[in-house]
Amino acid sequence: MATVSLTIDNVKVEVEQGSTILEAAKQIGVNIPTLCYMKDINAIGACRICVVEVQGARALQAACVSPVAEGMVVKTNSAAVRASRKMTLELIQSNHPQECNTCQRNTNCELQALSEAMALGDIRFVRPAQSHSKDDIDNSSPSIVRDPRKCILCRRCVAVCEKVQGVKCISTMNRGFETVVAPPFNQSLNDVNCAMCGQCSLVCPTGAIVEVDDTGKVWRALDDANKHVVVQTAPAVRVAIAEEFGMEPGTLAQASWWQPSPPRL
Amino acid sequence: MDTDFTADLTIMEEGTEFIKRVTSGGVLPMITSCSPGWIKYIEMYYPDLLAHLSTCKSPQQMFGALAKTFYAEKKGIDPANIYSVSIMPCTAKKFEAQRDELTDSGYQDVDVVLTTRELGRMLREIGVDWDSLPEENYDDPMGLSTGAAVIFGATGGVMEAAVRTVYEILTKQPLPDINLTPVRGMEGIKEATLKVGDLDVKVAVAHTLGNARKLLDKIRAGEADYHFIEIMCCPGGCIGGGGQPIPTNLDVRLKRIAGTYKADEELPLRKSHENPAITAIYEQFLGEPLGEKSHKLLHTFYVPRGVYSKPEGLPDKVPSDDHH
Repeated sequence: MATVSLTIDNVKVEVEQGSTILEAAKQIGVNIPTLCYMKDINAIGACRICVVEVQGARALQAACVSPVAEGMVVKTNSAAVRASRKMTLELIQSNHPQECNTCQRNTNCELQALSEAMALGDIRFVRPAQSHSKDDIDNSSPSIVRDPRKCILCRRCVAVCEKVQGVKCISTMNRGFETVVAPPFNQSLNDVNCAMCGQCSLVCPTGAIVEVDDTGKVWRALDDANKHVVVQTAPAVRVAIAEEFGMEPGTLAQASWWQPSPPRL
Repeated sequence: MDTDFTADLTIMEEGTEFIKRVTSGGVLPMITSCSPGWIKYIEMYYPDLLAHLSTCKSPQQMFGALAKTFYAEKKGIDPANIYSVSIMPCTAKKFEAQRDELTDSGYQDVDVVLTTRELGRMLREIGVDWDSLPEENYDDPMGLSTGAAVIFGATGGVMEAAVRTVYEILTKQPLPDINLTPVRGMEGIKEATLKVGDLDVKVAVAHTLGNARKLLDKIRAGEADYHFIEIMCCPGGCIGGGGQPIPTNLDVRLKRIAGTYKADEELPLRKSHENPAITAIYEQFLGEPLGEKSHKLLHTFYVPRGVYSKPEGLPDKVPSDDHH
């Protein structure tokens, strides 16, 4: 295996040839922030949050798509880098609805977390109207809601739908502020070749693609004295629900106590 | 109650269906039908291959059909007043529950589907304190289950569960090694060959629709010599489903898979056909696997959709009424 030596934040590191700066930095415990990157699935340098300073380079480089080179000297946290990331984030936020409190992804949103970590503060750029309105929300599908207002165009959903699932039911359309991730000809998700798998909702860094929330229906049924509510829980829920309470993934919410007993029918 | 109970039931029905197909020259390879994203995908992209699908409903829909028949009868409740909720790792289950044909109880079999994330929200809304929750059993009569049902959640799990039962039904011998490790793990397509009596049973397991496509293309080309294929729509199987907590990445998936197999190992019963509640429901209500009542409540048909519109020359549903 051919290796390459470089310096990241004054630390010498030797990595496999063909690695990216992002991967090399991770090896020495430097976590460069990202919004669009997904290992093995989406490395396209779209969001520009992962920019770093490479000595001798004309401009800041996106670490997720920049391969390492012998003798390279990288700074991941210089003043220029921090200012650039902050400006990028501020520009993204200038076209993002400021309704975090009522968003399904509140407190579990990558854009929100990054804005907090970077102490973004006031957003100086105010657009008279945002690119997309509530009328553009696609809630045609029984499974998934697509809200283009909250989309930061990272294209993770596009990548997972195309590269993992081979379905390709959404992609980017238009240019500039009009850009939108949607099914062909802006059709409704319910009318196209969507398998409703929801992998897009898992990778969305914001609340632009979420599950249809049916909790209200269940509360109404529970509150209705005439209804007998029967609940079933799937096998895969018992190793995941604990995560909703901050527990380690894989924690089992079932059954050290399971006792074989005569059929109790 | 527990979808794991109907996962065990699925193994009884699907295992019996598999044996019937192998012994009577039915369509092979038979492919699993639990994963509704996968079902919609094959209906859209490979409508010519629908006869390969097991006619078994998913465990969710078997449960729904039984909740408003068997359970209602048992409890003396008017099924019209039963509201059937399922908690799923899956967004496609919401679509599945709304399918027109999944109404064999005389009502919509499953009224509403919540994802794991939505359940988390409801529990947090009412201030549930996770650590102080008492341990309780699932309720009867659809609460008992086995390790074979738990592993439905991980890619390869349905196949492993089916093998545990099919082997013992066919050979009437205990399975030498209950753990079918070649079909476990995150590799995209896994294969195994298993000696069952005189027959070398060749199985394959795929997760993600991208990997499913590779197997389906082999079937179309006549190059697939498998007997039985498990396909799950999502990476890692249902533990990596689109309704699971965020983040769900490779590391998280591996931990959920580890939790799944640990649960299987710790359960006293690990084979679906050894579940006493399954024996009882056949004795008291269903009769026998693939019997008349099972056929009506636990099996279904599929709809050739095509990607943009229904392809010409295909029936409205598979199997058609002559067979169903």
